[in-house]
Amino acid sequence: MSTYDKEHLQLRPTNRPPRPVNKKMRLKESGGLAAGLMLTPSLIFLCICSIYPFIWIFRYIGYNYNGFVARPVGFANFTRMFSDTTFWNSVVTTFEYAFWKLIIIIPLALIMAVLLNQKLRGSSFFRGAFFMPTVIATSISGMIFTFIFATQNGILNNILQTVGLMGTPINWLMDQGFAMEAVMILSVWAGFGNYMLYFVTGMTSISEDVYESSRIDGANAVQTFFKITLPMLSPVLKVVLMLAITGAFKDYEAIMVLTNGGPGSRTNVMFLYIFKLIFGTADNARMQIGYGALLSLMAAVIVGAVTIIYNLVAKRLDDVV
Amino acid sequence: MAKNRAQIVYSPQQKTIRGLLWLLLVFMTLVVIFPVAYVILGSFKENQELLLGGSNVFPQKWIIQNYIDAWEQANFAVYTKNSLILSLGVMVLSLIISTMAGYVFSRKNFWGKEIIYGIFTAFMFINVGSVSLRPLYELAVGVNIHTSLWPVVLFSAGGGQATYIFLCRGYVNSVPRELDEAARIDGCTFFQTYYQIILPMLKPVLATIAILSFRQGWNEYIMPRVFTMTNDNLRPLTVGVNMLKNAGDGAAAWNIMFAGATIAIIPILVVFICFSRYFMGGLTAGAVKG
Repeated sequence: MSTYDKEHLQLRPTNRPPRPVNKKMRLKESGGLAAGLMLTPSLIFLCICSIYPFIWIFRYIGYNYNGFVARPVGFANFTRMFSDTTFWNSVVTTFEYAFWKLIIIIPLALIMAVLLNQKLRGSSFFRGAFFMPTVIATSISGMIFTFIFATQNGILNNILQTVGLMGTPINWLMDQGFAMEAVMILSVWAGFGNYMLYFVTGMTSISEDVYESSRIDGANAVQTFFKITLPMLSPVLKVVLMLAITGAFKDYEAIMVLTNGGPGSRTNVMFLYIFKLIFGTADNARMQIGYGALLSLMAAVIVGAVTIIYNLVAKRLDDVV
Repeated sequence: MAKNRAQIVYSPQQKTIRGLLWLLLVFMTLVVIFPVAYVILGSFKENQELLLGGSNVFPQKWIIQNYIDAWEQANFAVYTKNSLILSLGVMVLSLIISTMAGYVFSRKNFWGKEIIYGIFTAFMFINVGSVSLRPLYELAVGVNIHTSLWPVVLFSAGGGQATYIFLCRGYVNSVPRELDEAARIDGCTFFQTYYQIILPMLKPVLATIAILSFRQGWNEYIMPRVFTMTNDNLRPLTVGVNMLKNAGDGAAAWNIMFAGATIAIIPILVVFICFSRYFMGGLTAGAVKG
């Protein structure tokens, strides 16, 4: 269910089809029943965990459903969606969040990957350290950062004050001006190691000879990066960017723990808003499942549209370069 | 490649630059490790010290009372047990399901194979978020298993299976078919070929799947949170710790929360340190490398 696990598959190129076997050489196909039985568990899981919920959503988009009673409301959910400013604000917040996250995380991951690629002493240790946050549960990292961002006794404020960078303590999580920054710090911390690793793997496949000849031609480090590393990495970069974009749009677990969308709805991204509609919040247990289902579809469409637009742009850039 | 590198001689200027870059990496590492170290070390502080704050990372006085309190008063023994059941359950199920399916997808040709495979792929891209937990929850209530951890284990394994099936299928594709044929000639049935010949050869990918699915189960948060809304005794660590935070007396229980968070991250960190190869390998296996 974790988005992270689903993500990295998209990188996989289409698998090599099974080798064609000469009909005459081939043994008689057998074990059809066994094969069917072996496939059954995963098919049952596919039906229950993926297909059934998907169909279920369509069943309820025209209903007002509070978890106990479902009442058909026709197109009321649709009209409500178009006039629901909270939802559209959460869409804007999602875009804002995704934009800033990508602007920070991709260059950071790229720079770190380039540094690691210099084969400095202890590179594999650094790589492991940068990757470490990605193995920790997002919910726990969210919690760790709540401690760090705490206003009075949080260590971040204390350090900033000790160093003298700041006079009065910042209320990171409750201040309209800082909540998004706090969420951003958490998501960059938790995620950049992932993308760094993709870049590092991509760079190891760039031939050493290319670097050597560029050195002989007298290219400096910056030139080498822009003229060799970046162009040769572009296929990887494109895939990683797509993963990062779809990933950023789907983030809400860490935000839920850190700010729960607050203050006000400053960090209320769309999937978090939907979660609250479907499962109720602590202070408002009223569930609006039918409406939430419709918004979920809308959110999926938005993410899909962004992915398609990105792919078109990436392709266009490909033709130009 | 490393050999080529070793031949390079650096000028003094380059050496300085490399030294500075190294320092930059050390600095970044400290920044990245800091939050985790802060919590782990903080879990040995007295609550008094935590609440006062200050920029001390190391405890003034080391105590383990927080762990004893968490274990005995705050139900952490139960949370830990649940986390273990959840992660091991997801791991075992994922291993069984995905290797069988991956093997069949790789070796068998049957009607509709491409379509089924396509559906698996499609549902990795379709993401409707948390809404799909609602029908699953109602289903669990319907068949009356919602008072156990079973639905969380099953649905988590079911939700993540596609990834592992793909990993497994890719790996089986690289195992020569001649092996299967030889086994068949020797009289193995289809299942025996899988179980006795192929499965032992899948060890690297089994390790990757085991570790990724263990982490998936251990770190699962939203689903167990929804499924254990009313039952504290079913909560895994991720949910249990966060419930303390929402409990209202937030500030008072900082020491318990620090200890709880540490209990939740130490096992996965140990697994990561021991098997980091598989974590990082699994991420990029057959992916960027092609």
